[in-house]
Amino acid sequence: MKEFYIGIDSGSTMCKAVLFDGKNLVDTYIIKTGWNPKISASECLDHLLEKNTISRDNVNITATGYGRETIDFADNIFTEITCHAYGGIYLKPEIQGIIDIGGQDSKVIQIQNQRVADFLMNDKCAAGTGRFLSMACEILDIKLEDIDGFTDIIDPISISSMCTVFAESEIIGLLSMEKDRSKIMGGVLQSIAQRIRAMTGKINYDLEAPILMSGGLSKSKALIEMISKITGLKVETHDNALFAGAIGACICAYNKNN
Amino acid sequence: MAKNALPSAFENFADARKEGFLTVKNLKDEGKKVVGTFCAYTPVEIFLAAGAVSVGICSFSDETIPEAEKVLPSNLCPLIKSSYGFAITEKCPYMYFADLIVGETTCDGKKKMYELLGDIKNVHVMQLPQTQTDEASIEMWYKEVLALKEKVEKEFDVTITEDDIKAAITIKNEERMLLQEFYNLSKSCPPPITGTEQLKVLYGSQFKFDYESKNKELRDVIDKVKKDYEDGVENVSKSAKRILITGCPLAGVTEKVVTAIEDSGGVVVAFENCIGVKTADRLVDENEEPYKAIADRYLQIGCSVMTPDTNRYDLLSRLVEEFKVDGVVEMTLQACHTYAIETAQIRKLMQDRDVPFISVETDYSTADVAQLKTRLAAFIEMLV
Repeated sequence: MKEFYIGIDSGSTMCKAVLFDGKNLVDTYIIKTGWNPKISASECLDHLLEKNTISRDNVNITATGYGRETIDFADNIFTEITCHAYGGIYLKPEIQGIIDIGGQDSKVIQIQNQRVADFLMNDKCAAGTGRFLSMACEILDIKLEDIDGFTDIIDPISISSMCTVFAESEIIGLLSMEKDRSKIMGGVLQSIAQRIRAMTGKINYDLEAPILMSGGLSKSKALIEMISKITGLKVETHDNALFAGAIGACICAYNKNN
Repeated sequence: MAKNALPSAFENFADARKEGFLTVKNLKDEGKKVVGTFCAYTPVEIFLAAGAVSVGICSFSDETIPEAEKVLPSNLCPLIKSSYGFAITEKCPYMYFADLIVGETTCDGKKKMYELLGDIKNVHVMQLPQTQTDEASIEMWYKEVLALKEKVEKEFDVTITEDDIKAAITIKNEERMLLQEFYNLSKSCPPPITGTEQLKVLYGSQFKFDYESKNKELRDVIDKVKKDYEDGVENVSKSAKRILITGCPLAGVTEKVVTAIEDSGGVVVAFENCIGVKTADRLVDENEEPYKAIADRYLQIGCSVMTPDTNRYDLLSRLVEEFKVDGVVEMTLQACHTYAIETAQIRKLMQDRDVPFISVETDYSTADVAQLKTRLAAFIEMLV
């Protein structure tokens, strides 16, 4: 019986990995996925093993995320939907769902009785994903990590284009009219929140129970506030929400073995 | 899931579409007339009674879409674009050999495409009502069926006698009963065959033109599958999650949905699609006046072009029970408005019955295979 679990969430932008001892989260690590998801995943694995002086033979490895099929050294594979749900439940047991905005998709999960009850995914277009936000940051010349201090979420300028390519032209148009950048950024967050609402609206959520925001954008308080406002739901986050998928991968493997 | 080779019984159906090309050419050389059809609403008994061969010409490949988009808008259902593309490029032998093409005023896309198709082919469009229970619609459709009979008689210079139409009804009913018996085999737990195998027979049966030998082949497949099951051959794992597929027509490239399900621990037990239960579910009443019986039977097919589409909801509710379904997967084709809108009602229907439901939108490309796999694998992981 192996003592430790390593979960690797190989996303389109970032590769997240965690070390779990069956009870507690021991360590976390995150790097860019890069062009080869297998290389970044094994780099995460090596780092966690080395830093915590654990032997490779003593870990059970589970892969999730877009790159999961390429990680051939994994013992188990689960989809990111299942992993985000179990990781979310581990971090906040009282949640009724997850909102995850990833690099190339966004998803909304409903949790009932500690299991996935329903989910919706937007993976056909970049609207409402991290890609949309990074495009906007680039044009507005704002660093992704600075959006909270910068954005005006009280009085946003609406971005009406749903398509990322057209929204880009729309933002350039607004800049040429010398509109306030912080209000334009507010409009960008509003647009993402509206795409999320299109999904949350199809699920019978309770207005009172909390929903965990996971994924890279869960660090942004402004975005969470905007999503709460637009969806009318109680959206919260957690310091380790970024690692929800990787944590869930460990939990799925642990549940399978126990 | 065990990946067994297809039993030899399925091979007769696996390449039926391709093999049918030659058969149709030979039939044409013998002087037979060929009718191309698009929809489940087309009453094929009339062509059979006229001694003609009828064949489905809906297309399921993206090969001719670029050619079609020279005329049609790109934001249109791929089935319509592909079918039109095959017609203008003369790449589909069935379309090429067709003496007559019969369509109905179903969805807006098809209806308008038929006008363009009429410029290059001999097209007859039946006016299909949009409701199924009111007197005016029932009467109108009956008249359309009679008009089709007259059109066929005139085009092919034949007279359809009462005996001809009755014989056609009988043999078509026989086929339906055999198809029902075949797909109902998957009510067993575990099902004796995979969804991929089931679809091969359902789809392939469209391209066999001699009904007597086709019905005999169907009988053979049923007997073979039954015997293997009774002999304890386990083709599908007991733990495989039982999935029902509903939505737009599914065949050819969109079989990627079936593959994604069956590669992720699921098994498709029933297809509530045009190629599937929908077309074989009910028989034509042999005790009624033949044309009235035909009209009444066809008009009651459930499809999102009808408003309201009560018959689809009823059929789905019944199938979910009968096939002991663990989850329902709906496939809609890009830009198919009627199905895409009806998704909200189907989702609600399934929520009310506590049946897990997912709707996926796709097209005729293979670009979304990985995304479909993620969604459908997650859906199956979700099922208890």
